[in-house]
Amino acid sequence: MRDRMILGFDTSAAHCAAALLSGDEIVALRAEEMGRGQAERLMPLLEEMLAEQGIGWRDLSVIGVGIGPGNFTGVRIAVAAARGLALSLKIPAIGVSSLDALAEDGPRPMRALLDARRGDVYVQDFGGGPRPSPDLVPRDEAIAEAAAEGLDIVEGVSAEALATAIARIAARRADTQQPRPAPLYLRSADAAPPADPPPRILD
Amino acid sequence: MTRSLTFLGLESSCDDTAAAIVRLRDDTPEILSSVVAGQTELHAPYGGVVPEIAARAHAEKLDLCVEEALSQAGIGIEDLDGIAVTAGPGLIGGVMSGVMCAKGIAAGAGLPLVGVNHLAGHALTPRLTDALAYPYLMLLVSGGHCQFLIAHGPEEFTRLGGTIDDAPGEAFDKAAKLMALPQPGGPAVEAEARSGDPKAFAFPRPLLDRPGCDMSFSGLKTALLRARDQVVAEHGGLPRAVRADLCASFQQAVADVLVEKSRRALTDYLTHAPAHPAFAVAGGVAANSAIRAGLETVSREMGVEFRAPPLRLCTDNAAMIAWAGIERFRLGARDGMNLMARPRWPLDQSAAPLLGSGKKGAKA
Repeated sequence: MRDRMILGFDTSAAHCAAALLSGDEIVALRAEEMGRGQAERLMPLLEEMLAEQGIGWRDLSVIGVGIGPGNFTGVRIAVAAARGLALSLKIPAIGVSSLDALAEDGPRPMRALLDARRGDVYVQDFGGGPRPSPDLVPRDEAIAEAAAEGLDIVEGVSAEALATAIARIAARRADTQQPRPAPLYLRSADAAPPADPPPRILD
Repeated sequence: MTRSLTFLGLESSCDDTAAAIVRLRDDTPEILSSVVAGQTELHAPYGGVVPEIAARAHAEKLDLCVEEALSQAGIGIEDLDGIAVTAGPGLIGGVMSGVMCAKGIAAGAGLPLVGVNHLAGHALTPRLTDALAYPYLMLLVSGGHCQFLIAHGPEEFTRLGGTIDDAPGEAFDKAAKLMALPQPGGPAVEAEARSGDPKAFAFPRPLLDRPGCDMSFSGLKTALLRARDQVVAEHGGLPRAVRADLCASFQQAVADVLVEKSRRALTDYLTHAPAHPAFAVAGGVAANSAIRAGLETVSREMGVEFRAPPLRLCTDNAAMIAWAGIERFRLGARDGMNLMARPRWPLDQSAAPLLGSGKKGAKA
């Protein structure tokens, strides 16, 4: 029997990255750095990768997709594509966070840390620590806290490593029922209620 | 022989997530299903559509809407002949989510993908609902758009004019906000206007003194704000009866501008000597009965058939996208997996830009 094929991909930062897992082995890996244009490049890149392996979309068993946290628009590009593919291929699409991916080969206990701009970082602790769930905190605070708690900090991840971890984690999770992939934002949409109050209505 | 084409359409360019199935059989189109998931409650606290909130909702609702549309139509992906998706113009986060979801579906199913201009979707709706023959005149009037177009073919439009600032739907929303009325503003202002006097306040009719079909609504909004502030200053609040008068007078001003500009657009359109002259309206503002009545009257005066598709097909929906996709597909249009989502995409590429004429080009 042929090994199960799992395609993992990610556009949560300035890249299009993808990894193809056949059984336990990564058989293809692609990462292209790009500041913009992921929406146009992602699908052609995936198709090229499958074609090089002599397979097509219908040979896939599972899709793994990066759900961030990261660039909001970038995360939606990959998640929307994954949900569309899952619908037409009738296979599961599984969301994997960048923080889970970052911790995949890390030490324990560890604090996964990703730059969130504006002086903040996205963090999550693995194997113990005060932040077992994904969180958004000021960088200085996250680093001081990790030191106090004796957590190894692992910051940032290459696009290749990210795609590889997404494929591997999705493969593991595919054996159990999973929710549809949804972006992990951690930061609310910047929106303020209108400044001008409505007039008082007189009867 | 029965020739049949069945398309899935996806729409996510503003605050409605929509999916629909349209089938064309023996030259007769039929809407097999049309699912629209609105986001009104999500944006209500902000007094307007917040792009990031809209994009977040679209990304997690699109595939659910598609599944619902397939299920209501009683068909599967394998029964489709193609996927049509709004590729612009609109709020880019939403458009991009729709385009990516459509690419995923098309790739997985091995089906052709057709990108559709959202405005073409509206402009081609009278062919779906009333089988109008080209060329016909179209007034597209909604929360985001306001323009007169002559539709010559599925991809051939001439813009006669449009708003140089706000769209009327946007003006209605702002008017509702100024009057402490709920969103969406159109129906709320119209309901309030029923008990008011349309002549109580003399609001401007912008650009009526100039030739052509261009319009402006932002000054009208400012005039309404000034009148309201004066009333509030006098009474220490806004009396209900005066609010009704303000709403009625505001609505009348919008209607007068649209009707007079329609008259000019019809005159221009008739110089093309169409065999079956027809004027159709689309967009949410077409639901306003005062405006609709005015457009009907001017059409009758000019001897042109007037058509207004049912409201659910006037406001944003995906049936119009599936239909526009079928029309483009029949001309041979196919898009690749590199299909781009475009925030700005005028239908008439030759017309001078009315809005956003900066570096990035015209908005619509």
